[in-house]
Amino acid sequence: MMELEIELKKASDSLKLWDATSISLTAGCDLFMRYVTRTSALEYEDFNSAKSRLIERAEKFGEISCKARRIIAMLSQDFIFDGCTIMVHGFSRVVLEVLKTAAQSKKLFRVFCTEGRPDRTGLRLSNELAKLDVPVKLLIDSAVAYTMDDVDMVFVGADGVVESGGIINMMGTYQMALVAHSMNKPVYVAAESYKFARLYPLDQKDMAPALRPIDFGVPIPSKVEVETSARDYTPPQYLTLLFTDLGVLTPSVVSDELIQLYL
Amino acid sequence: MWWRSPSFILDKQQSDTVPHQRNPPDTLPLPLPSQPPFSMADTLQNPSPENNISAYYQTRAAHHAVVTGDWLAQAQAAIGRDPDDSTDTTVATVAGKPFSVIDEFNSWRKQPELAEAVAAIRALAAVIRNCQATTMMELEIELKKASDSLKSGDTTSISLTAGCDLFMRYVTRTSALEYEDFDSAKSRLIERAEKFGEISCKARRIIAMLSQDFIFDGCTILVHGFSRVVFEVLKTAAQSKKLFRVFCTEGRPDRSGLRLSNELAKLDVPVKLLIDSAVAYTMDEVDMVFVGADGVVESGGIINMMGTFQIALVAHSMNKPVYVAAESYKFARLYPLDQKDMVPALCPIDFGVPIPSKVEVETSARDYTPPQYLTLLFTDLGVLTPSVVSDELIQLYL
Repeated sequence: MMELEIELKKASDSLKLWDATSISLTAGCDLFMRYVTRTSALEYEDFNSAKSRLIERAEKFGEISCKARRIIAMLSQDFIFDGCTIMVHGFSRVVLEVLKTAAQSKKLFRVFCTEGRPDRTGLRLSNELAKLDVPVKLLIDSAVAYTMDDVDMVFVGADGVVESGGIINMMGTYQMALVAHSMNKPVYVAAESYKFARLYPLDQKDMAPALRPIDFGVPIPSKVEVETSARDYTPPQYLTLLFTDLGVLTPSVVSDELIQLYL
Repeated sequence: MWWRSPSFILDKQQSDTVPHQRNPPDTLPLPLPSQPPFSMADTLQNPSPENNISAYYQTRAAHHAVVTGDWLAQAQAAIGRDPDDSTDTTVATVAGKPFSVIDEFNSWRKQPELAEAVAAIRALAAVIRNCQATTMMELEIELKKASDSLKSGDTTSISLTAGCDLFMRYVTRTSALEYEDFDSAKSRLIERAEKFGEISCKARRIIAMLSQDFIFDGCTILVHGFSRVVFEVLKTAAQSKKLFRVFCTEGRPDRSGLRLSNELAKLDVPVKLLIDSAVAYTMDEVDMVFVGADGVVESGGIINMMGTFQIALVAHSMNKPVYVAAESYKFARLYPLDQKDMVPALCPIDFGVPIPSKVEVETSARDYTPPQYLTLLFTDLGVLTPSVVSDELIQLYL
């Protein structure tokens, strides 16, 4: 059993090393390790049955994670009403699942999509939504405050959910949440439970940097620096609710859930 | 090369109805200086606001895209006219063909450093000089006609409308019209018109001087897009050897922020480029926000490039001061009640990939920033708080 755990740990570490900046990868690996190696499985005397029990738990964990998006989509249907306007940022598969489920249950709503510089993920999302016959409007990132009056709710995904109840997501999420909060619009986050991480950023820069080069379309003089961080941290006071496969949570409850998950 | 020829932009506007399918700009490596005057004149004379392309923003974008010293010299050589020599200009125009205020306006507009409203004011001053009227009423009517034709050339430009209105009021104020002799009245009018033109020209320098006290050593300034007034402010600060750094937003969709960062890098000012989404991320390190204005409205708010409202909101929530640099001829008699309560000024956005036809695009080029998010306005009338603007407006327009 010790050998198995050591091997598992080595594999988990090498996975995490492959991308040091991905929070969900790290969090997912950690949660898996904890879930799988929890005490009861290790009480069997026979190694083979212990191993098959471990495999059983691992598969179960995998299944839960796969189904997470569908559970989140189901939970969020109550919050999307007919005639509402939803603002989304960038491309999140969870949020797409939410919107797809709503469209398929014949709800009438429209979506405002930000462009999602610099990787133009918003354009991709607008493409997908247009295929579902959902009315989409594309905005440049600067136009979020301009259109926030017409918006009923903001829906974002998350790269990671941190202990404070805040989220780490694509650059621009913090700005959108701030604007929405100042205009009293709810900000909903759709995040699977394996994204809950044991992090507590104190400000924007207090995370492992995740940089990505930006293509401005024209050459930039060498003296000019560029802010290339790909993500920002949204503090919990700007978030209204988190939709997870553990249920619909408020940001303050996240740390309780984290304790339960990691114990 | 990264700059786009203005004729390319304007030709594209006239020829295509699918604005998002645009050829890459580097297929036209050289500008064609002989084309801009005519195509700009066409655009200025024949836009229909219902067709949704704002001429103001198109020519602004053209200016933003191409200004290098070489291009200006080429343009001047091709036209064979020295823009600093105003008397020659007017004489040549009168001798060659009937005087047209639009032509005069366009000739002034060719200088990229000149604001649109100042060009309009100069053009109207030329109208007075060249008018054939023999009575004061005729002169006023002619002036009004010229002013209306300039305004109708581009209904979306707030500073143009405001500048024309202010000029009309300033010039036709009572005392000048009490002379019995028409010629001396006319020369008095011309004098006042030239003075107004000079004040408008000098406005930027006055604003730059007033704002120097607010820029301290070691500060970080956030700017949005490209404003010539703000650039003048930063240039003056850099030349007086102040140490500061600038965060520049990218300024989608016309990438004006990139141009500003270019100019600032030439002045050896440390610049950092941000995408528009990164404003809240970096707002912690910022000490002040500096923006220009397309127009200052009666409430004390400003109308400026799309994204200004967002930046002001974020700055306000983090207690950072927002300073606006605006010349006094931009004070307009408008009072928008919300974001959509203005003449729409649309500007097509190039996303780089084709957009499905079912997808709408929000193409407005500007937004309205309410006065509660602004801290101070630097104008050539002095440093004002937003609440004082309506008092100033009353004095200007009375």
